[in-house]
Amino acid sequence: MEINFNNVSKSFVRKRNGQEERFVALRPTTFTVRSGEFFSIIGPSGCGKSTLLNLLAGLETADQGSVEVDGRRVDHPGSDRTVVFQEHGLMPWMTVSRNVEYGLKLKGIGAQERRETAMQYLRMVHLSRFADALPHQLSGGMRQRVAIARSLALQPSVLLMDEPFSALDAQTRDLLHDELQRIWAETKTTIVFVTHNIREAAYLSDRILTMTGPPGGIKRIVNVPFAHPRAKSSPELSTFTAELHQEIKDEVDRVAMQELDADWNPLTSPKRPPRDVVAPGEGI
Amino acid sequence: MSIEHPTKLVPRAPEPERPKRDWRALAVRVGFVILLIVIWQIVASAKIVPPYLFPGPMKVGAVLAEKVQYDIDLLKKAINSNTPPQPEQPSLAISILKSMGRMGIGYGSSVIGGLILGVLLARSWILKQTVGTVILSLQSLPSICWLPFALIWFGIDDKAILAVVILGAMFSIAISTEGAIRNIPPIYLKVGRTLGARNFTLAKDILFFAALPELFGGLKVGWTFAWRSLMAAELVRPDSLGVGQLLDSGRQYNDMPLMLVAVFTILTIGITVDLLVFGRIEKSIRLRWGLER
Ligand SMILES: Nc1ncnc2c1ncn2[C@@H]1O[C@H](COP(=O)(O)OP(=O)(O)OP(=O)(O)O)[C@@H](O)[C@H]1O
Ligand SMILES: [Mg+2]
Repeated sequence: MEINFNNVSKSFVRKRNGQEERFVALRPTTFTVRSGEFFSIIGPSGCGKSTLLNLLAGLETADQGSVEVDGRRVDHPGSDRTVVFQEHGLMPWMTVSRNVEYGLKLKGIGAQERRETAMQYLRMVHLSRFADALPHQLSGGMRQRVAIARSLALQPSVLLMDEPFSALDAQTRDLLHDELQRIWAETKTTIVFVTHNIREAAYLSDRILTMTGPPGGIKRIVNVPFAHPRAKSSPELSTFTAELHQEIKDEVDRVAMQELDADWNPLTSPKRPPRDVVAPGEGI
Repeated sequence: MSIEHPTKLVPRAPEPERPKRDWRALAVRVGFVILLIVIWQIVASAKIVPPYLFPGPMKVGAVLAEKVQYDIDLLKKAINSNTPPQPEQPSLAISILKSMGRMGIGYGSSVIGGLILGVLLARSWILKQTVGTVILSLQSLPSICWLPFALIWFGIDDKAILAVVILGAMFSIAISTEGAIRNIPPIYLKVGRTLGARNFTLAKDILFFAALPELFGGLKVGWTFAWRSLMAAELVRPDSLGVGQLLDSGRQYNDMPLMLVAVFTILTIGITVDLLVFGRIEKSIRLRWGLER
């Protein structure tokens, strides 16, 4: 199982000041994710991380180039590439177990086996007791764990995660980091993990892809030179995180400067909130 | 793996709790209604206004009992002679059946038509701009205004009344259905697709349920529109034999108690369907979806 991005680019048409313009979300990009790898993607807001993940999920189509999983070209969503989003996206009308079973049902697996598989994966995230609860009866962290179980139950060749823990509190997040580590070791699934949290990326990943932009593109791929499992408090990891942090911060500053310059033109947009400087295009 | 999982730290989900009946609120509500009836009786007994203009609750109750008795006799006679009942005066039961029958057909068609139209409006940009705009403008016309047209097109026929009911409810259901579909959080679409759902499966398993709470709210409002349109149409059109006409026949005979009996009948049907049928289903959907506790 290997993922190949060959010269993949993506742009969107969007309206700005009433005029349609083509907006480059991802410049031509080439990289490879190795089989069984924990691969993280970090970069400033709006640099195309989600776009990249959506291309891999098949939720978006590339303008040019090709995304290949195991040599096969990705052109639509498929249960071999399941996604855990920032919002858990559990179906509120289904019980926890039914949520996990749903993808299996679509695959034509019988009720009995479905239920067993669901229970197996719910046990993996320590939620088998809540199999018959409804999503709204769970806490945020528990919901996200159900979403993980739902994605894993389909035994995807790659698990995609788009900022899966960023809506959670720090304690729950720490707990889920360890849980994800353990699951990854157990299932040996390839994981592509998008995050804003550099510490999180450094703690979990084999390799980290850093991105620049917008317009989005890749900067470099960083090896994380520590064996798993890691200790969160280890000084080596802290030093590593700090260096990576500085690198990303430089990038964010550069983008902010550029944006500020562009914004200096009073004709286009006289006043914009400072947040927008860092996150261009958000909320469009 | 060497990382121990602290299972005991995992927070427990609250046990699914049954909503408790709020007896206190119920008692206050019932008590207030009783109070109103008592005041009504006192004012009526004071005879400030002549009783034929303002009958008290006892009088109205007596007329209601009379009407119910009349219907029972009518039913007995019909069963004994094996012929359909032939009322010589307005019958409460027949009025109710007539009106509910019209609601069944009129509202039923509105639901089917409204849902289909709503889906089409949500899916087609051109339909939304054209048909959608027309529907939206027609919405501001009270549906009873269609009755004169319907009477000319269909004659003195049930079809005229049904047309008013359908025009009153269908557009409203179509508009709310369109809104419900547009408001489906995009996350469900993404999740459904990545789990392998496509086209019809996606619509039937995911989009329908994701839209259901709002969809059902629209159906509930549609029922209210249909019911109001029906009452207006029955009231205006002679010989319609519905509950609305019962009210008007009270006016013709100068029979204020009968008019009040008709009003209470209309109220009772409205409350029953609105609160007990639609209200209950809506509540259980919202509870299940976690939209309220
Ligand atoms: N469907 C779309 N239509 C128009 N523009 C889009 C669309 N999706 C993304 N974009 C734009 O593409 C750029 C990259 O978006 P993307 O969501 O990939 O960024 P991101 O790196 O995930 O950002 P964040 O960290 O804030 O989630 C953004 O500027 C965004 O406005
Ligand atoms: Mg994103």
